[in-house]
Amino acid sequence: MHRQGSWPKPPERHVTDPHLARSKGVNETAIDTAAPASADLDFERLYHSSRDDVYAYAAGLLRDQAAAEDVTAAAFERAYRKRSRFDTRKGSARAWLFGIARNAALDELRRRGRHAELSVDPVDAASVPGADEHGSELRLLLADALGGLEARERELIALKFFAGLSNGEIARVIGIGASNVGTRLNRTMDKLREACDGAL
Amino acid sequence: MERSNNHNDLATTLAEVRPGPRDAFAEELNERVAAGFPPRSRFDNSPLAGFLAWARAIKPQRLLFAGGTAALATIAIATVVIASGNSTTSDPRPTGGLLSDLAPVEPGESSGSESIPQAAPHLPATSAAGKSSASAESASVEPQIGGPSNDRANSLSFKPESRHREIERSAQIGLLAEPADVAGDSTKIFAAVHDADGIVLHSTTSSGSNAGAIFALLIPSARLGDALATISSIDEVSFRHEATDDITAPTVSAREELEESRARIDTLLAQLAAAEIESEAEAVESELRGERRHAARLRARLANLDRRTTYSRVSVRIASDPSADSGGAWGFDDAIGDAGRILAVAAAVTLVGLAIAAPIALIAFLAWLAHRLWLRTRRERALDA
Repeated sequence: MHRQGSWPKPPERHVTDPHLARSKGVNETAIDTAAPASADLDFERLYHSSRDDVYAYAAGLLRDQAAAEDVTAAAFERAYRKRSRFDTRKGSARAWLFGIARNAALDELRRRGRHAELSVDPVDAASVPGADEHGSELRLLLADALGGLEARERELIALKFFAGLSNGEIARVIGIGASNVGTRLNRTMDKLREACDGAL
Repeated sequence: MERSNNHNDLATTLAEVRPGPRDAFAEELNERVAAGFPPRSRFDNSPLAGFLAWARAIKPQRLLFAGGTAALATIAIATVVIASGNSTTSDPRPTGGLLSDLAPVEPGESSGSESIPQAAPHLPATSAAGKSSASAESASVEPQIGGPSNDRANSLSFKPESRHREIERSAQIGLLAEPADVAGDSTKIFAAVHDADGIVLHSTTSSGSNAGAIFALLIPSARLGDALATISSIDEVSFRHEATDDITAPTVSAREELEESRARIDTLLAQLAAAEIESEAEAVESELRGERRHAARLRARLANLDRRTTYSRVSVRIASDPSADSGGAWGFDDAIGDAGRILAVAAAVTLVGLAIAAPIALIAFLAWLAHRLWLRTRRERALDA
């Protein structure tokens, strides 16, 4: 049985700019350690460490590049306007930011009044450098399977594997218990696995 | 466990297919962040949008602090304004509830629901020796109906319209004096009554720490205004009340009945003179005696009504004022008293403010709560759609 937190972390990437740590693939533990403990939010640092994650989450949920860009920009703008209201006692800066991003994404979903259709593939699944044929096939299958998930399931996947949030952070963002997050994630991964296996 | 390991490759692949932003978008967003998200539309540049953005950015704690400070400042200003208003224009002693302090009655201003008619006496309400003036004064509305003239009512203080009406007047005055001044004030009351050719019906004077005096006076209505002004100037006026009562109807009625009675007497006298039989004369005489008694009663009634219009009943009460027994110097007791009054006014202002603000704040809070709940529900539904 899956245990909480046993999923592999996103692969480390080459870091060229310390400000872009998370955007370049540094895990969230390193970011949280570096995050300011005081009430004053280092917005620029948060932005650089989370920009790509927020975009990845929005794109994963909405499956629309233009909408994801709008949501990402709106989320950071709202966070910038509200930065003085951030309270460290209520959670990490990333959880706070993703709470704002989630609201912006759901507003976008609500505004459109429908599930977003994939207008632009969020990734060219077969063009990851150094990938073998089996890996490319799996990526294509996975991309299709993601499209078949419900929005709630897709959001979980986006928060966990695209944005790199911990289960605790996800729980805080979507307002459920951390153990519930693990259970739902496992169920969603099972569903993805079945979809991929069925396609093979 | 095997299943979890099976998911590991999925997790790794998911991380690989993680969407990334376009370089152009990332650059544009970087620039906007570096510039602090400058306004993009004309509306964003408007003062309203600026204010809204500023208000949204404020921390709730700071907002509460600012609101609390503003509320305290409002209470302090209102307290100062009301307290200073009380000390200069009205009796500083609370005579009613807290709210009565909030609406001090100006001298010459009616505390009743009806305005003082033109016929009402315009009496100076200011007190002697620089003390504060009367706080409450009221008068009933005087009728403005025409009628026979009446010289008795042609006083300085009442309008000529009252000449043809039979108006009974009465007044009550309360004076506040230091205990040591009560006797002197009483003497001045007697002098004022004497000057006005009035009558002291009753007087009671007591001395000591609870010194005071009560007077029941009859003052000629024609000189009532002057007399009240003189009495009001003797010491600090704590209250003054004046009333009028139109007794024209009973007076006219008594007068007409008396005229009829006189005519009846004249008739009976004529019958008596013409009576030829003794028994007839006795019967007329008996009737005449009865009619004369009736006429006497009518004359007495008319005289009583006449006296009621000629003289006005005035009650004067002198109460000692322990707080004023400091020789004029502002001392510790005064400070305690002033502090108490200021606190009372502040409490009243706070109470009124809360009575106004609390329901509004509660409604606003509930509306905000409902909006949040509605928004959250709508957002969650967007995921289920």
